[in-house]
Amino acid sequence: MGPQHPSTHGVFRMILTLDGETVVDLKPMFGYLHRGLEKTSEERTYLQAVPFTDRLDYICSMTNNFAYAVAVERLADIEVPPRAEYIRVIMGELTRLINHMLGIGFLFNELGAWYTPVVYAFRERERIMDLFEMASGSRMMCNYIRPGGVAADLPEEFLPHLKKLIPHLKRFVAEIRFYLSENEIFRARSVGVGFLPADMAVANSITGPVLRASGVTYDVRRAEPYSIYDEFEFDIPTQVEGDVYARYAQRLDEMDESLKILSQAVERLPDGEYTSKVPSRLRPPKGESYARIEAPKGELGFYLVSDGSPNPYRWRNRPPSLINLSALREMCLGHKVADVVVIYGSIDVTLADIDR
Amino acid sequence: MYGEGILKGLWVTLKHMVGTFVKDIKKFPRRYARGGILERTEYDLYGIFTCQYPEERYEMFPRFRGALMQLRNAETGEPNCTACGACERACPHGVISLEVEGKGKERVLKAYRYNLARCVFCRLCVESCRFDAIEMSHEYELSRYSNDFILEMDDLLALGDKYDVHKTGEAWGVSE
Amino acid sequence: MQILENLWIDIAQWIRGLFDSFLPQWAAQLVMDVLGILLLIVIGIVAVLAFTYMERKVIARVGDRIGPNRAGPLGIFQAIADAIKMLTKEDVTPTNADRWMFLAAPILIIIPAVLLYAVLPFGRGMVGVDVNIAVVFVVALGAIPILSMLMAGWASDNKYALLGAFRTVAQLLSYEIPMAIALLTVVLLAGTMSTVGIVGAQSSIPFILVTPAAFLVYFLAGLAELNRTPFDLLEADSEIVAGYFIEYSGMKFAMFFLAEFINFFMMAGMITTLFLGGWQWPILPSWLWFLIKTIAVIFVIMWIRDTVPRIRIDQMLSFAWKALVPVALANLFLVAFIAKLLEPGWLRTVAAFGSNIVLIGIALLLLGRASRRRKERAREAGEAAVKRYYASAESD
Repeated sequence: MGPQHPSTHGVFRMILTLDGETVVDLKPMFGYLHRGLEKTSEERTYLQAVPFTDRLDYICSMTNNFAYAVAVERLADIEVPPRAEYIRVIMGELTRLINHMLGIGFLFNELGAWYTPVVYAFRERERIMDLFEMASGSRMMCNYIRPGGVAADLPEEFLPHLKKLIPHLKRFVAEIRFYLSENEIFRARSVGVGFLPADMAVANSITGPVLRASGVTYDVRRAEPYSIYDEFEFDIPTQVEGDVYARYAQRLDEMDESLKILSQAVERLPDGEYTSKVPSRLRPPKGESYARIEAPKGELGFYLVSDGSPNPYRWRNRPPSLINLSALREMCLGHKVADVVVIYGSIDVTLADIDR
Repeated sequence: MYGEGILKGLWVTLKHMVGTFVKDIKKFPRRYARGGILERTEYDLYGIFTCQYPEERYEMFPRFRGALMQLRNAETGEPNCTACGACERACPHGVISLEVEGKGKERVLKAYRYNLARCVFCRLCVESCRFDAIEMSHEYELSRYSNDFILEMDDLLALGDKYDVHKTGEAWGVSE
Repeated sequence: MQILENLWIDIAQWIRGLFDSFLPQWAAQLVMDVLGILLLIVIGIVAVLAFTYMERKVIARVGDRIGPNRAGPLGIFQAIADAIKMLTKEDVTPTNADRWMFLAAPILIIIPAVLLYAVLPFGRGMVGVDVNIAVVFVVALGAIPILSMLMAGWASDNKYALLGAFRTVAQLLSYEIPMAIALLTVVLLAGTMSTVGIVGAQSSIPFILVTPAAFLVYFLAGLAELNRTPFDLLEADSEIVAGYFIEYSGMKFAMFFLAEFINFFMMAGMITTLFLGGWQWPILPSWLWFLIKTIAVIFVIMWIRDTVPRIRIDQMLSFAWKALVPVALANLFLVAFIAKLLEPGWLRTVAAFGSNIVLIGIALLLLGRASRRRKERAREAGEAAVKRYYASAESD
């Protein structure tokens, strides 16, 4: 299945070996979108590398910024004021909502419902991206969460809009559940398809909604709490079956949990400083740090090594999409060609994250 | 019952379709006459969500990051730029280039070149400027018919006059 | 109302009168026949233009968008723009293709499509030819496109086209059978095979209320015959096998496209004729009722297309053979039984309706049980895997 394909979320190539209709072997080939971001960032200062992190997984740019900021703060021992922490959590959960909407929408695009769920999901994405534009000036490449805090304080119209948006999004999630969850054709195509058993998932280092849909309760927000996530009450939903339907249901449940966290954060938002003073040519002490967060696609990690100069010595990110892709072969064996696209869509990858 | 899920889905789709017609009737001339501007702040699940681009344009939010523009002083009308070069050093992509004559306090700006094709509109240059000299405008219709993407000082000052901004960071709650 | 009712018939008589005045009898008759044929072809093409436009508008409105609205006021010239685009594309023939078959396939697919219009009753007394075995005519001509699709797949020198043609043939043949059986049920109730006679037999009650099971079977089989969602795997772009018409472009592709839409209107017309009562209803003129009912059926088909995802090919074939054919056969037996025992009247209607509802209920129950069993199996596999993981995680 060649690089130009309408359903592969980017430029991706899979070499399938078929026996009639059944898949016998699968080899993914990627690298079509490689831009050398890691090397380029090593020649820039820590502040100048923030726009590059936006472009790693372009759908969830705020969480990429978040992970990078946490990594730099651990490296240079920077304190973040509480208001900035709450703003970061709000942006992170909004990003999770955006990503899951897009994931569910494009899963149905691959299943063949002609763009209707996609358009419904994109409608609500537009509203959240309006909020991003209000706060940071740009809808997708936000460049907003910086090491030390956030780039600027929230404008006045942000909070009233957000307060009106949360019940609206609850209604939207309920409507999507009503519309899609019991569709018999969808169930016939997704129950039992792409089964990923829990032990194989952990053996392949899969994280994120894919892992939780296979039954393992592991969430970085609970396992190694970063920022102020230990002050919020939320559950970690899991599904047991580990097939395509379970991943879809998992994303819907996670959207509900994100809305819960959002309403708690909005109520408790404190006043105060929005950033701590960080010099623009930051020279962190020699050392290394690894920070990981629960990005919407899985565990996003940044590994930074500093040698005292303003440029990082080594700048590496752990892409959730690439590592989640490593189980694609096991999931697809024995299924038909039509299922390969559906399974690939249910893992929800973004090619920019794989190729960097 | 077995077929219930499909029927539920059909019901949702029908509600959306009828909802678009109902909304059209409620706001009658808006869709079919030119010059009606849509608002984005009505939170409703139904109704047409398209903005018909050349006739209806959304207003950008105040913090929107468009092309760069040079600002003039409000009273004297002189450009605020002192040719310090901070923006040139802050940009991650090498978009801005300055030609300066003289050193120290007698710096004179000869040319200020901004490469529109390479800019990613990240605003790091504006944040580094201490003299209120540059800001991001709301200009997003940036296509050209030929390959001349390098804007000189005059074009940037013209953009600043078009949007009539004199201080950086007005919408951002800080004055830099 | 009477004027409107007989509007087309009066126009036809007037034109006939014109020709009678200066031509001999047989020539006038010949000219009238040729004009009738041309009229049917024109109806087909106008229907195609109108329905491509309507489809895009309906899909757009369902997705909260405006459809095409730039080509002409409210976008009504969009279909003409599409037609011009298709006609001006370059006509490419692959080098190793079988030239005569390559040329013949699109021609062969459009001829039966238009021929079928001859038996559709557009109104009271407005039918092309009143063939008294019209149902057999429809089934026979509906099977010729299958042959031409196979020709198209074979003649393009492309193994993906051939595979696509195989799949199409499998799908269409499997769904011919429930369709034919449902048609037989209606013929049994009406007592005649001619379409005009079937419409006449529905003067008291439309057949959808007498045998809803036959209606459902015919509707679903018709959707599959038309290659529409949820059965449109051949036009899907998320499958690698791209379909039997992959090598066609320009006018030949336009022929395939036209044939699909002409068949669409024909299928909706047949559903209206067989089950919804054709042109029967009191107040409005009869051809207007036919048009309204057909457009309603077309709207329902488009509505289903927007909402529902696709089925996989093996699930589709098993649906045809394991679900539709048994239901259709059982329905045929039931209706034959009831029609033999009871006289035509309200008792027969109620008995047929009741037995059909019971039949549909049993079918849905069995299908539901199969899907629930699949879900149980997936859940058990998942739970076993989780237990295995946690056991191994605790042990080390």
